[in-house]
Amino acid sequence: MSEMAQTADQRPEEGRRGGCPVVHLDFSTAKEAGCYWAQAEELREEAPAYYNDFGSGYWIFTRHDAVRDIYKTPELFSSESITPWEPEPAYRFIPTQVDPPDHVKYRKILNPWFSPKAVEEAEPRMRELCRGLVAEIAPRGECEFIGDLALLYPTAVFLSFVGVPVSEADRFVAFVDDFFAGFSGDPEKLPGMAAALQGIRDYWEVALAERREDPSPREGDLAGYLMQATFEDRPLTDTEILDMLQVLVLAGLDTTRGQLGYMFRHLADHPEHRQRLIAEPELIPNAVEEALRYYTIIFGDGRKVTRDTEFHGVPLKQGEMVYGLVAGANRDPRHYERAGEYLIDRERIHHMGFANGPHRCLGAHLARKEMQVVVSEWLAQIPDFEAAPSDPLVERGGGAMLSLAELPLRWEAGA
Amino acid sequence: MRLRVDGDVCTGHGRCYTVAPDLLTYDDEGFVSIRDESIAVAADQIKAAEDAAASCPEEAITLIEEEE
Repeated sequence: MSEMAQTADQRPEEGRRGGCPVVHLDFSTAKEAGCYWAQAEELREEAPAYYNDFGSGYWIFTRHDAVRDIYKTPELFSSESITPWEPEPAYRFIPTQVDPPDHVKYRKILNPWFSPKAVEEAEPRMRELCRGLVAEIAPRGECEFIGDLALLYPTAVFLSFVGVPVSEADRFVAFVDDFFAGFSGDPEKLPGMAAALQGIRDYWEVALAERREDPSPREGDLAGYLMQATFEDRPLTDTEILDMLQVLVLAGLDTTRGQLGYMFRHLADHPEHRQRLIAEPELIPNAVEEALRYYTIIFGDGRKVTRDTEFHGVPLKQGEMVYGLVAGANRDPRHYERAGEYLIDRERIHHMGFANGPHRCLGAHLARKEMQVVVSEWLAQIPDFEAAPSDPLVERGGGAMLSLAELPLRWEAGA
Repeated sequence: MRLRVDGDVCTGHGRCYTVAPDLLTYDDEGFVSIRDESIAVAADQIKAAEDAAASCPEEAITLIEEEE
């Protein structure tokens, strides 16, 4: 199959579809860290759109304005599938895969739970939890950042944020790892992904049954809240509640791990930025926001075309899949000044790391706060650190969401 | 100057009230509290208003210069 792509490159007239170059790209494989962003930049600069004949085939849009327009035009680009390599997914996440007009009705139920106000109220315990985890790590003088903190901390925060005992963390982490192994399009990992989805569902089915048996209110209990919530004046069905809780677990645990890993690799490699954030802690939210733009873990986002149309010069047919290359868009020099640089004090940052349009990430406020807390609590106890010698760092297949597999760090303990 | 938020376009990223906390705040869902409204911008908040408009990923904020 890869020979097809080579031939396409050499004979552009034959290797084109809808006026676009045809490529054969598998975004599910692990690569050396940074390779996926390099690939996104290359694709974006060579052409605004491609046809990828991988799997059942889909269109890739590489530049900022097209990706934004995909997000902002849900009537043309349905969220029924968000993985272009799998146009008919076995799951239906709510509200992720719901289109207008119902989408906003589900969001209205969930938005208050994940609002900035709710996050501010949780901040003191988020800080305390993080301070404790870093205090355990600091005397060691070294750690594997992803396993020791980047995965553990968001998991503990998220579970407490939705009212699940933190003792369940290991179980959920395993589900999330298995799910994302298959989500990026590796067919061998699909059975594990299906089992993880079922495992999460089974957990919540038991939780709903427990709450029916003992309906006394529990503090901070999202499942109980959803059981009381209404959609157009009727209660949510169990299927709807499970479709919501399933995606919240997946989105809440994995993404912050990925984003924290790249943020801390940056800080390990940039002592001047560590010093700046220690001297000016009020700059931390800005540093995090720029990381969300520059180190976007959302490599791309898929949508399904609802009717025949022409979009940014490309003829699209109803039922075809498109893939907005978010990682390319967020570093598009047509849209951003000094797009290819991480500027810790960049002003007026905006990006599509939390998507754009109606499906803007529900957990954005929580994710930002988690990252800000980790940066400030870590730097308070471990101001000086570096990447420990290791084999080249590896990142998980970028198709869905990028994440470093490991990030070994070291510092002078007791310094 | 007046600042106006288009409520159909705003999706609640929260960038505006983060970069202009003395001018804008959020509602219970996390949207800016003045969707489909416009507010007067005091002279010392003009830079903040411009930052808010330029930081909005949805381009939902319009600044309107007023006649003297």
